[in-house]
Amino acid sequence: MHELSIAQSIVDSAREHATLNGGRRVVRIGVRVGEISGVAVEALEFCFGMTVQDTDMDGAALELERIPVRFRCSRCAHEFHPVEFLGQCPTCGSDGATMIAGDELGLSFLELE
Amino acid sequence: MAERVEVRQSVLKENDRIAGELREALAARQILCLNLISSPGAGKTSILESTLDALRGTSRRVAVLTGDIQTERDADRLRRFGFPALQITTGGTCHLDASMVRRALEEMPLDGLDVLFIENVGNLVCPASYDLGEDAKVVVLSVAEGDDKPLKYPGIFRRARLMLLHKIDLLPYTRFSREAAVADARRVNPEIEVLETSCLAEPGLGAWLRWIEGRLEEKRQAGRPARV
Ligand SMILES: Nc1nc2c(ncn2[C@@H]2O[C@H](COP(=O)(O)OP(=O)(O)OP(=O)(O)O)[C@@H](O)[C@H]2O)c(=O)[nH]1
Ligand SMILES: [Mg+2]
Ligand SMILES: [Zn+2]
Repeated sequence: MHELSIAQSIVDSAREHATLNGGRRVVRIGVRVGEISGVAVEALEFCFGMTVQDTDMDGAALELERIPVRFRCSRCAHEFHPVEFLGQCPTCGSDGATMIAGDELGLSFLELE
Repeated sequence: MAERVEVRQSVLKENDRIAGELREALAARQILCLNLISSPGAGKTSILESTLDALRGTSRRVAVLTGDIQTERDADRLRRFGFPALQITTGGTCHLDASMVRRALEEMPLDGLDVLFIENVGNLVCPASYDLGEDAKVVVLSVAEGDDKPLKYPGIFRRARLMLLHKIDLLPYTRFSREAAVADARRVNPEIEVLETSCLAEPGLGAWLRWIEGRLEEKRQAGRPARV
């Protein structure tokens, strides 16, 4: 359960940006959560609510975008969601594929008022 | 009217910043830093005990930071070998972060060290997200846990440079398939290196000790100023 510290980091970063933008109020925060980032989305939502409660950011919304694991075939460049990380390309059958998405854990946007 | 501002940064930016500082401090002293991660009881402390025991007859100077939610027990075990070992008690937190390591290093001088080992809190999920300034994450998978772990906990296998298939002495008593474990780990991370280890029987920890020497050599080559 590290979602509480993740929530705290999100709130800290959002507050820092809001201060840099003239001390405006944060109303919404967009976060990208990769499928293998190790973050449980429901737990993060819960912890975020707890973290902002009774602060200047109380009522701010957290918008989580889940990013599924994606592989790209190194032969035909086809992109696909692998079953259990199997790298075999469903289009050309080639075995070489590299992971191009799924482990991100990043802020994507803020809405300031 | 709310205004939308695009922000592209890691959620763990502050952790990553501190980890970057740690990495620089370690690089300046040419110290290799290895972050050991596993589920509870896979054998991290045992591996470190045997490692320190093997190194005490050599010229290598090493130190250990060991993370635990509650107790000082692992540091007590590790201090018996004459090298510095410091417990980081997280008080409930399921992983180490870079600021905990930075705080611990205020009490443990780095000068003169060759290797800094960090034993993370026993947990296959949360520690994977936190950069501690290490050169490599090492995931310890003991055979009693089952060979399905790489696909169940892909995050850590993705980020580890090395996987130790540990307690390999127990292989005859389990249905663990080393081929399946290695193949699955490589699906998630084609580059992952794999070594088999045991603290109690053959093949021992020789391959692991040689791997550490190799990484140390690598780091010192890279850190050497180019000749003019
Ligand atoms: N059979 C066998 N048992 C081992 C081996 N290495 C460690 N053990 C046993 O595994 C148990 C747990 O070992 P620890 O070293 O405490 O594991 P850990 O990963 O440090 O545990 P936490 O810090 O609690 O997460 C102990 O009873 C060890 O004696 C091994 O190579 N073979
Ligand atoms: Mg331990
Ligand atoms: Zn293809």
